[in-house]
Amino acid sequence: MNRYFFYLILTNMLINVIIFVPKILIEYRYEGAVMGMLIAIPIGFTLACLYSKAITKFPGQGLPEIADKFFKHRWLTILHFGSIQLAVFSAGLITLVGFIDVLTRFINPEMPRLLLLSIYLIAIIFIIQLPTERVMYILEIVLFMNTPLIGFIVFKAFTSDYISWDSILEVGTHLFDRPSLKAIAAASYVFSGYANLVIFNRVIKEKLKVWNFVIIFFMGIFNLFTTFFIPIGFHGSDGAQEYLYPWISTSDSLRLVYSPIERVIFIFLLFYMSITLMSISIHWHSAFELFKGTFRKKENKKMKWIVLSAYSGCAVIAVMFLETILLNQITVYWMIARLGVEVVIVISFSLWARRQLA
Amino acid sequence: MPTTKVESIKKSIMNKIQKAEDVVFKENFTKEKYLETYYIKSISDEQVLGKYVLKPFFEIQGAELFLDYLQSHPKISTFKTEAQTVESLLRGEAVLFYQDYIFLFDCKVDRNNAVQDTTVETTIQGPQSGFSESLPTNLGLIRHRYPEATLKVESSQVGAISKTKVMLLYDTRFADMDTLGRIKEFLANVKINMFQTGEQLLDSIKKSNRSLFPVMLVTERPDRVAINLSTGKIILLIHGSPFAVVLPTSMKDFMASMADIYQTYWVGRFLQTLRYIGLFVSIVLPGLYVATTSYNPEIYRVQLALSIAGSRNLVPYPSFVEVLLMLFMMEMLTEASIRLPKAIGPTATTVGGLILGQAATEAGLVSNIMIIIVSTVAISNFVVPINAFSFSVRIVKYIVLGLATVFGLVGVGIGFLLFIAYMVKLDSFGQPFLTLIQTKPNKK
Repeated sequence: MNRYFFYLILTNMLINVIIFVPKILIEYRYEGAVMGMLIAIPIGFTLACLYSKAITKFPGQGLPEIADKFFKHRWLTILHFGSIQLAVFSAGLITLVGFIDVLTRFINPEMPRLLLLSIYLIAIIFIIQLPTERVMYILEIVLFMNTPLIGFIVFKAFTSDYISWDSILEVGTHLFDRPSLKAIAAASYVFSGYANLVIFNRVIKEKLKVWNFVIIFFMGIFNLFTTFFIPIGFHGSDGAQEYLYPWISTSDSLRLVYSPIERVIFIFLLFYMSITLMSISIHWHSAFELFKGTFRKKENKKMKWIVLSAYSGCAVIAVMFLETILLNQITVYWMIARLGVEVVIVISFSLWARRQLA
Repeated sequence: MPTTKVESIKKSIMNKIQKAEDVVFKENFTKEKYLETYYIKSISDEQVLGKYVLKPFFEIQGAELFLDYLQSHPKISTFKTEAQTVESLLRGEAVLFYQDYIFLFDCKVDRNNAVQDTTVETTIQGPQSGFSESLPTNLGLIRHRYPEATLKVESSQVGAISKTKVMLLYDTRFADMDTLGRIKEFLANVKINMFQTGEQLLDSIKKSNRSLFPVMLVTERPDRVAINLSTGKIILLIHGSPFAVVLPTSMKDFMASMADIYQTYWVGRFLQTLRYIGLFVSIVLPGLYVATTSYNPEIYRVQLALSIAGSRNLVPYPSFVEVLLMLFMMEMLTEASIRLPKAIGPTATTVGGLILGQAATEAGLVSNIMIIIVSTVAISNFVVPINAFSFSVRIVKYIVLGLATVFGLVGVGIGFLLFIAYMVKLDSFGQPFLTLIQTKPNKK
């Protein structure tokens, strides 16, 4: 069992709360979200399996190293790298903008968003420049500290008296509605943590075992179920759609009776602060390393800072101009585009890898 | 009779050494032999010299026989170069001029070889004695605890003026050769005039930026050294210092006390957990106080929030000023109690801690809860067993505090994460400073 692979997938599963997956799913709860989820599970899982199988045929190598050895056409390489880069960068960007929005909304309503953004950017820029291996170590520590407690919160949610299983069953009866593409795209995001393998395959030195896939399969199902049904259980099948961030509002409905911090939302957000930061960092680290890989010959310090400031610039502009609703709408289309890009890249890459190492 | 060459070497050596009361040049005669000895009596042992050189000189009859004696004695080595001879002379060896030969006789006085009690890293149980200030004694202490044929000892010198003898110890089975190479390269490049103790290396380890945390462990315990040897660490012993340096070091080593393995398993685990909690508390608590009183008082349950606000009722300035003021006082107290003579120490703590704290609260300068927080921070800071690390941690809390002042709760969260990220970024001779699961260096 390779734990690094597991961490990458787990991070994405945890982060879907911030990146509007529950919001999108709940919006289509009467219009095919359930079926969409059921379809998304095999799709997402197959994509994850195919890609991780393909890339772990090159143990210890990220995409740039593989490209150096095998890729012949330069323009194809740039196109290939460029599309992945764009996908992972935008995933990080949406998470960042979304979370800054969450923070201003729930923790620091009086603070300017750009100020909040600045501390995030400092931390992110610090982390993404580290070697891949070190980024993984930080991720491991962060997950180690936070996941058990988030698990506890989920446990509290499941065992809460205020969860209405009738609402969940009610939504469940919409199982056979015609699935909506948006829901499929959103739900398949849960599995797409494998995308970061393009770079993080560097730290995975051995072949992945069947266990890895079994675990992520069941975790994915559990995660989707939790993401979708817990807010519905708490807010009712109609009420759930009223919230911009259903999960964060749900965590505010929870109460730890004997804890000095009574409102779960603060604990929840404190944990998510670091998980979000790490999620953005691993996405942007992948993008950054891919960029460096594209122009491997001409790598220099100036270039590095230009790229980093371009990233920060994008983040600043995005935070300035995207308000929650707009970001939400963009995310819906981004999810669909992402799914498309993923399918194309995964299939072409795995076919190529199979032919290369037949 | 000495040839002219030996004569000229003798002249030149004697010219290099400045005349002093303790520089001795002595000529000895018997019927058939003539021996000259040249040494510095304050650092050479004259009794040893008398016993092994002068006494045989007068007892052994033939000139050739005495030469054989000199050549076969294990403490006597032959002349190599002039510079080396001068150096050995300055380290306490005696130079013997006999016939056409020049010999060096090792009769150094080994001062400060008394084994000291541990004072910095004390434990309740387990071995209580630390290192001495003498290199051979220290080496002996380690060999006693680590009787393995694979223990390798290499000597070198550090320091342009002090020319301090340094020994590099490692177990050839476990030590990582890459790391060893890096350490040797590092030692060769250290530019220090006066090298007196291992702690000086802490600063020169990085040329470009100064790291906030020590990346080498300085310890006074031979048992710690022995344990570290068996896990593949490389040990540096420095002449004249009762501290050994352990390389490479990870954060886990700084959080480990030798007491952990001298206790039962669960007690050890408990103590270790306690230390990590202490570390966390001492870093985060001041920042958390500022963030929760000034930005998000609603985070606590109502009663708690009210009692904090109530205790801050009299305080006329924002929470971060209050925290800074108290932390500043506490740092002063800590610093002063190190410098104070042992007899006055407790008085200062009482005056500072109890009376000042009490008075400050009553005067309405700081809140009651603030006093509790500051003392918690101070105490939990010293739970960290290795001093060098606990001093670094003292600085980190100000960074978190600063971030909390500007960014509130987010500042605390991100500040702590940055602290972790920084530690992961650091490396100690190629080994990462902080990882969750430490890979064993002894890969076959």
